[in-house]
Amino acid sequence: MLDALRFEWTRLLTLRSTYWLIGVGLLVTTGVAVLLGVAGRNDPINAEVVWIALNGAAGFGLPFLAVFMAIIGIFACGHEYRHGTIQPTLTSLPQRNRLIVAKLVVVLTTTLVVTLAQMAINLGVVYVVWGEAPGLFEDPLGTSMIGYVLYVLLYVLVGFGLGLLFRGVPSALVVIFLMPLIIENMIFGLSTIPALDWLVPVVKFLPFTDGARMMELAAPNFGPEMPDFDLFSRWAAGGVFAAFAALILTAAWVLFKKRDA
Amino acid sequence: MITAKGLYKRYRNTVAVDHLSFDVRPGVVTGFLGPNGSGKSTTMRLMLGLDHGEGETLFDGQRFGTIRRPMNEVGALLEAKPFHPTRSARNHLRMLAAGNRIADKRVDEVMEFVGLGDVKRKKPKGYSLGMAQRLGLAQALLGDPRTLLLDEPTNGLDPHGIHWMRDVLKTLAAEGRTIFVSSHLLSEMQLMADELVVIGRGTMIFNGDVDTFVREFTQSQVVVRGPEAAGLAETLKSEGAEVVAEGDALVVSGLEIGKVGHLAFTAGVELHELSTRRASLEEAFMSATGASGQFVAKEPVRAAAPAAPEGEAL
Repeated sequence: MLDALRFEWTRLLTLRSTYWLIGVGLLVTTGVAVLLGVAGRNDPINAEVVWIALNGAAGFGLPFLAVFMAIIGIFACGHEYRHGTIQPTLTSLPQRNRLIVAKLVVVLTTTLVVTLAQMAINLGVVYVVWGEAPGLFEDPLGTSMIGYVLYVLLYVLVGFGLGLLFRGVPSALVVIFLMPLIIENMIFGLSTIPALDWLVPVVKFLPFTDGARMMELAAPNFGPEMPDFDLFSRWAAGGVFAAFAALILTAAWVLFKKRDA
Repeated sequence: MITAKGLYKRYRNTVAVDHLSFDVRPGVVTGFLGPNGSGKSTTMRLMLGLDHGEGETLFDGQRFGTIRRPMNEVGALLEAKPFHPTRSARNHLRMLAAGNRIADKRVDEVMEFVGLGDVKRKKPKGYSLGMAQRLGLAQALLGDPRTLLLDEPTNGLDPHGIHWMRDVLKTLAAEGRTIFVSSHLLSEMQLMADELVVIGRGTMIFNGDVDTFVREFTQSQVVVRGPEAAGLAETLKSEGAEVVAEGDALVVSGLEIGKVGHLAFTAGVELHELSTRRASLEEAFMSATGASGQFVAKEPVRAAAPAAPEGEAL
């Protein structure tokens, strides 16, 4: 297993895209914290500002770091097929399970380290501007930060699974952008039309929407005009996202074992 | 030593490899021949577990998938450019070496050996096909393996490169390694290979040494030259031989050289040359695989056939 980890670690570190994806992800999320600081430096800080600053705007639907890290997840297997390196890879490491486990460990560990680093950088910005971060270790802010880390990890897992499932990069990128940004938003929007109210029970099972709920500060309030979506709790919704990630990954893994390289 | 037993691969309605069994001995270069689409690459992929099918291949008694650090036992080159375009050639090899506990020093050694030492930090997207083949060979040699499987390694190489590749493979074989190499360059294979595995439409056509293959799949010819050689033609034909005139010589098929000499002596015909013409590997290959090509192009049509003074059947 150590050999496979060494291989995968070298693979990740010798790709230029690894550096610019992480760099851009950190730059954008830090930019969000800096922007908040510039705009609100004269206002008193509260938990909501700390929340947006620390998750780099992921809390209101722009999960920058998750998206950039998910692309690294897609590249982990997608690049192997796109550039034909799966052949030398499998003649170097023919045990397919071992290879996938190594890829998962390296990509998820990198994601965890980068996400924690991003939160630390943004916390630094908050302290530089306001000198405090109220409610950081208290509920619900502390819990939502744990939810943010889990959300990024699961998002990357979905990207990894899609790259392996489609054995390429473009299809996986289309799905990972199209599904949360267009398909889920469209289903949510259509469900508010009375003629399409049969979509209402579907909304609480939308995986990316559920995943994002792990990092919410308060349960969403859509107002009296909106249907009752009977949404899951924070962690139950996270469970739906995790189940979706597991489903994609399992299908991809089974097919990887079964298909010709 | 490679032992392949009952290799079989089917794609929907097409059988690509049909129960192939053969051995590849150490110490010699074994050529792997077959027309386009005959299943050579699929066979090699089956041997390495890249494709799923039936049968088993053992490398010195071990299945490829069970070897802990396979690059130290079996080196493979299957595709011309299996490299990430922006990862340097050296880093590509470092990555593979990392998975097999091979030191970076060895990476530099093989890059120098294949002649890419000066461009090892460059990205392979700028490499020519010949340079990519050299990098592929460096990859195969990385773990200093006892067995090499190379699919068309001379593709894209210039004549110097082909000569170099031939010398490398023959030297490695002389060191007692097992070399299994496919190629479309039959003239090159004739110079390089000691033994052959020849397949057509996924089935075995021949497995043995090159001389036997040529003998088995071609008719040897006897060249007769002399001032009165043409007068011997009828005598030879009456003995069942096929006789073709080539200038002042006769090319005789279907009779042994001794018999031709005896007939000339009996007929009192003066001869200046009596020799056996050995067929080439290409001729043997065409004869052996003529009916098994999957993709057969049409013969070129000439506007007007010129008169042929030579080669006219008598």
